[in-house]
Amino acid sequence: MKPALDRGSLALGAYVYTVLAFVIIPLVIIIPMSFGQNDHLEFPPSGFTLKWYAEYFTSRGWRNATWLSIQVAFLTAICATLIGTAATYAMVRGRGQLASLFQILLIGPIIVPHIALAVGLYLFFQTIGLSGTVPGFVLAHTVLALPFVVFTTAAALGKVDANFEAAAMSCGATRWTAFRLITLPLILPSVVSSAFFAFIISFDEPVVSFFLSGVRQKTLPRRMFEDIEQNLTPVIPAIATLLIVLSVAILLGAYAMRSRARS
Amino acid sequence: MTTATRSRFWHSDGRRLSGLATLLLLLPFFAIIAFVFIYPLAQLLFISFFEPKPTLDNYARVVANPVYTRVLLRTLWTAMLVTGLSVILGFPVAYYMSRVRGALAALVGVCVILPLWSSVLVRTAAWSFLFQREGLINSALMAVGVTSEPIKLLYTQGAVVIAMTHVLLPFMILPIYGTLRSIPNDYMRAAAVLGATRLRTFTEVILPLSMSGVASGSLLVFLTALGFFITPALLGSPQELMVATLVSQQIREVLDWPFASALVGVLTLFVTLLALIFSKTLRFDRLMGAQT
Amino acid sequence: MNVNYPSDKVQAAGAAVRIRRLEKRFQSVIAVDGVDIDVSAGEFLALLGPSGSGKTTILMSVAGFEFPTSGSISVGTEDLTYVPANKRNLGMVFQNYTLFPHMSVLDNVAFPLKMRGVPKAERYARAEEALATVRLAGYGSRHPNQLSGGQQQRVALARAIVYRPRVLLMDEPLSALDKNLREEMQLEIKRLHAELGITVIFVTHDQSEALTMADRVAVLKDGRIQQIGPSRELYERPANLFTAGFIGEMNFINVTAEGSGGNISVLLPSGERWQLPASAAVEPLTGCQKAVLAVRPERLQLGDAHNGFTFRVKVDDVVYAGSASLLIGTLPDSTEIRARLPGASDLSALALGSTAVFTIPKEAILLYPGAAQ
Ligand SMILES: Nc1ncnc2c1ncn2[C@@H]1O[C@H](COP(=O)(O)OP(=O)(O)OP(=O)(O)O)[C@@H](O)[C@H]1O
Ligand SMILES: [Mg+2]
Repeated sequence: MKPALDRGSLALGAYVYTVLAFVIIPLVIIIPMSFGQNDHLEFPPSGFTLKWYAEYFTSRGWRNATWLSIQVAFLTAICATLIGTAATYAMVRGRGQLASLFQILLIGPIIVPHIALAVGLYLFFQTIGLSGTVPGFVLAHTVLALPFVVFTTAAALGKVDANFEAAAMSCGATRWTAFRLITLPLILPSVVSSAFFAFIISFDEPVVSFFLSGVRQKTLPRRMFEDIEQNLTPVIPAIATLLIVLSVAILLGAYAMRSRARS
Repeated sequence: MTTATRSRFWHSDGRRLSGLATLLLLLPFFAIIAFVFIYPLAQLLFISFFEPKPTLDNYARVVANPVYTRVLLRTLWTAMLVTGLSVILGFPVAYYMSRVRGALAALVGVCVILPLWSSVLVRTAAWSFLFQREGLINSALMAVGVTSEPIKLLYTQGAVVIAMTHVLLPFMILPIYGTLRSIPNDYMRAAAVLGATRLRTFTEVILPLSMSGVASGSLLVFLTALGFFITPALLGSPQELMVATLVSQQIREVLDWPFASALVGVLTLFVTLLALIFSKTLRFDRLMGAQT
Repeated sequence: MNVNYPSDKVQAAGAAVRIRRLEKRFQSVIAVDGVDIDVSAGEFLALLGPSGSGKTTILMSVAGFEFPTSGSISVGTEDLTYVPANKRNLGMVFQNYTLFPHMSVLDNVAFPLKMRGVPKAERYARAEEALATVRLAGYGSRHPNQLSGGQQQRVALARAIVYRPRVLLMDEPLSALDKNLREEMQLEIKRLHAELGITVIFVTHDQSEALTMADRVAVLKDGRIQQIGPSRELYERPANLFTAGFIGEMNFINVTAEGSGGNISVLLPSGERWQLPASAAVEPLTGCQKAVLAVRPERLQLGDAHNGFTFRVKVDDVVYAGSASLLIGTLPDSTEIRARLPGASDLSALALGSTAVFTIPKEAILLYPGAAQ
């Protein structure tokens, strides 16, 4: 008696899951590849080995690149979160000065092609000696991560009633104390999750890194680029697998933060 | 300036920060954007117009040389193709995502979000492997009997388009999903109770109301695709450059800074112009709202 | 008042709705639990109940947005239980207007006709007519966001009646409006109901709205019907303790009751014993049992009126409210008693803390088995 699933829904479901397969299979397929024994990539991989992971962890070049990327991503997360949160707070609680300029500049790093910024910074940083240095990478990545930090914290800050701080101040708190004791705890989960996002944006950033990397100072994406371009060895799937695990971990972390923000 | 506004500049009134505090908090943001974003781009523009002498020659070279105009057109065409494919593939997914609940919703969400936050290099590497001569796609094609010997997939424009669509698809899905989610359920119910079939409800109500999401997703994908570097560099043919790969070639191999600057100038000005024209359409907060 | 459908009067008249043993579960929640409702053709029925009592679920089942777990729903002679919503040909007005924001007002009203394949010219002509019926002629070219809330809800009404459905469903259609608009819209809906002869099922949690607008009111609690009846019956003789407490104000006094023959004797907390007529018991009493004596505050009379029982109340508060004054007091066992006294009453003797004598007319007393909280 009750109507069953109609054909339209079935067709839609079939289409959607085909597209999702297209989206997810390339990511998933790379994981088993990293355990294959042969020196060239093949599917299905033959045998089982962890030697590619061992190679990644023992090779000096990969280790240096990874360490550089971690340093840069960590510092970027801190800088972008501090600068972004301060600016967002000023926008949400301020007097609307410079609001439209702020908004235009904010979407700049999203709109302007990364290749343009990369080339510009390549030239600029070479003249002032920041090319291939940790501060150079951090500055560049902070610019790229800022919009995401601002959007995330702005959403959280918008939900905090301005009267909370007014009430705290009427109880004798200074603006800073009011922010620290009332507003910050309320937006902290979003701030932390935006720091996670800034970290991963920097850690995975390929284009600007590509141009700013020197002969000795190479970020992980730059090393991966060279490896893929020259000889696609199973080290790449091994690293890719590790990066996917990292992405999942960071997404879970951000998600946990968000659930905390809700409750 | 009246006294009231002047004093507001120095003093906060409980709800609002003082003007001074606002500016101080904004200072680091504007400083880093000015020095690490505006200045380097301005310098490139300057070079493109003034090196070796004040001239438009560098731009003339971009548009006069058929090799380079072909690169421009190829870039434009690829970006449009990727945008079109993303709409076709992405809209149904966004629609489905907005309709399902519970575990299925989580599954679809993960499938869309995870690629977005995993490295472009990882995804490009995956495609590079899939497109190899002995790669999975060729094996599959031969197994099915479509072809008897491996066909060339890697280093073709087709590979670039497919991989770019794969990379940019989430930027299409999320804004559309955002608008679809913001359509109250009662609109669908109202349409149904007024006699609309599921199809009519879709064409008369859901589709028109989701157009703003389609527009912002398309613009985002299109603009990003125009400047795409990694995927064409790794999967495309050196004979079929796109603007970004041409720029890289000019700087790293030819060392022709004025010409490369002019290319960057064309790309950046075009993209910025489009973004300004359609600034109402671009809703990045929506993208992030769906993401986080 | 001009009626816009002279030739369609018969066609537009309402259809009877029969809801039989309707049950709806959401996982473990039983939202509707065996509900039977008969709405006769052209009747105006209100569904009234506290939040979560299942009103919306019943309405959604009638509209076709929820398929019941069991039971059946029919309109006229047709069983609609599992018919898709778009094939039911019912009208519905939602709480938040739900006018499609990308269409003009006229297109919104013409939408259901478009879905029914009515040619364009006729569609717009009929939409204009429907707009005129809700007194919004000339607003067709506007967009929904250019109308006030009340106007939007009237457009939604026009859209719901333009295809002459035989039943009109409304889920708290007025709760988004402010008080004045709400009263205006109540009249508007009543007028449309009278003009069109359409059957109306109207969900509300506002009891005065239900009592004033509906021919009959169905009171729901926890997915079950507590009582269905005309407003007057609901108010004068609530069928059970829940309805008695839910509709209007009521004083409850816990007593021990003993029924014998035609009379009932109740033992009050004060130790007094009253002899009540058998008609006071809403449900038959058996032997000696705990019961609740219920009486409306406006039925209490100040002083000894010699037409019922008298009792003493300690005065805690007197609130002057224009047309009437509210006296709040307590019985010796600290049961709270409220009395509404006509505005002209002489209240000078009612000092706080003093004791006042009240009379309950015999016929004002209702007796329910059980105990009040
Ligand atoms: N989709 C659903 N899933 C699970 N439970 C539901 C769902 N819809 C309703 N319920 C539950 O069914 C019960 C009845 O809900 P319903 O919405 O019908 O109440 P209502 O009388 O309309 O209340 P209100 O006055 O608040 O609108 C509630 O306990 C509610 O939590
Ligand atoms: Mg409800």
